[in-house]
Amino acid sequence: MSEPGLRLVSAHGGADVDALVGRVARGDASAFEALYDELSSAVFGLARRVVRDPARAEDVTQEVFLEVWRKAARFDSALGKAKTWVMTIAHRRAVDAVRRSESQKRQDTKAAMDDVSHDEPADRVIASEEHGAVRECMETLTDLQLESVRLAYFNGYTYSEVATLLEKPLPTIKTRMRDGLIRLRDCLEGQR
Amino acid sequence: MSTDLHTLSGAYAVNALSADEARLFDTHLEGCQACRDEVRELQDAAARMGASESVAPPAALRARILAAADREAQLPPRVTSISAAPSRRWTSRLVAAAAAVVLVLTGGFVALQSQGDDSNVVAATVSQVFKASDARTRTVPTDRGRLVVAISPTLGQVAVRTNGLQPLTGRRVYQMWTIHSGTSTSQGVVENLAAGKVMALPSEGTTVAITIEPDGESVHPTTPPIVTLDPQSV
Repeated sequence: MSEPGLRLVSAHGGADVDALVGRVARGDASAFEALYDELSSAVFGLARRVVRDPARAEDVTQEVFLEVWRKAARFDSALGKAKTWVMTIAHRRAVDAVRRSESQKRQDTKAAMDDVSHDEPADRVIASEEHGAVRECMETLTDLQLESVRLAYFNGYTYSEVATLLEKPLPTIKTRMRDGLIRLRDCLEGQR
Repeated sequence: MSTDLHTLSGAYAVNALSADEARLFDTHLEGCQACRDEVRELQDAAARMGASESVAPPAALRARILAAADREAQLPPRVTSISAAPSRRWTSRLVAAAAAVVLVLTGGFVALQSQGDDSNVVAATVSQVFKASDARTRTVPTDRGRLVVAISPTLGQVAVRTNGLQPLTGRRVYQMWTIHSGTSTSQGVVENLAAGKVMALPSEGTTVAITIEPDGESVHPTTPPIVTLDPQSV
């Protein structure tokens, strides 16, 4: 399956992220290194996708891993998966960064819409099993669900900004966003 | 709870609420187990969507982040009402901190100083620095309230008491920096105003500053400092 220049990364193999975070919580630096190796591509890729500028994506990645290091002892595995915890921090920090930068946020509607329809960064270096599964599942969303979720998640727009961009009523976008994520969740669960 | 508020779970899971709405929804979540479960599941789905965008970061970033973590203190576990006693991890860290301080006081001082990197003794507590026999202290007024600084050359530490600073509203924090030749290096955020913060005593010519930053830690200051201080002048 592997194409030249692509590294296939298993979504489920590799170190157990929950166990690694548990060790990081006890100040284990080697566990932190392993955690970085396990998740840095996911964190950097998401940051890159949201903030777009690679140098800023590196800064966001650094912020994310330092927050993980600092707060590992506060992570409660009973309340969710460690990988989700890290990716949620990554998304929040990336979105905060993009919202701070008005110029980036205020790119015109046309450009934003183009971004949504052509989401393949030219320099992707990792193809993951995850990518295929997520892509398939995203195809099960309606157009409006997909656009709402993508504009919010990958472009950092609030749902009211998404409503303005798509010229739809606020309650419609709110429910489409939720329905879209529920559909994505159900599809991804079905693939396990 | 109103179904209207409940349907915000999707927008919440992808950080698409305004700060005010997010706070409102956080309050709603505290009393709604079903909502917490739904948010967790939607965040799982969003996280997988995010992870599907994986791109390897530049190799140099790894060393930069590991070095930064090495300088950064970790938070203790949150003490809940169920287990009011400090957990074992935190206790053992305190013991380690005490051991590091003893090492410094019994003659390890010169050796540690010469390493130029005393990240290992960063665990000294604020009161240990204030009580050190050679501690020099100074009260510094700022627009945000009063800051008390203590310097202990033998411990190689700077400590600040931040309980005189105004609590910040919204998702903002006080963050400490060292500034040398115009370059700012984060020394971490002040996680707890009542507790204050300790950092390694920087070399001569380096200034210590505090800024107000968005929650979490900024890599570069995003606001002008509320205070800058030359530790040598304390």
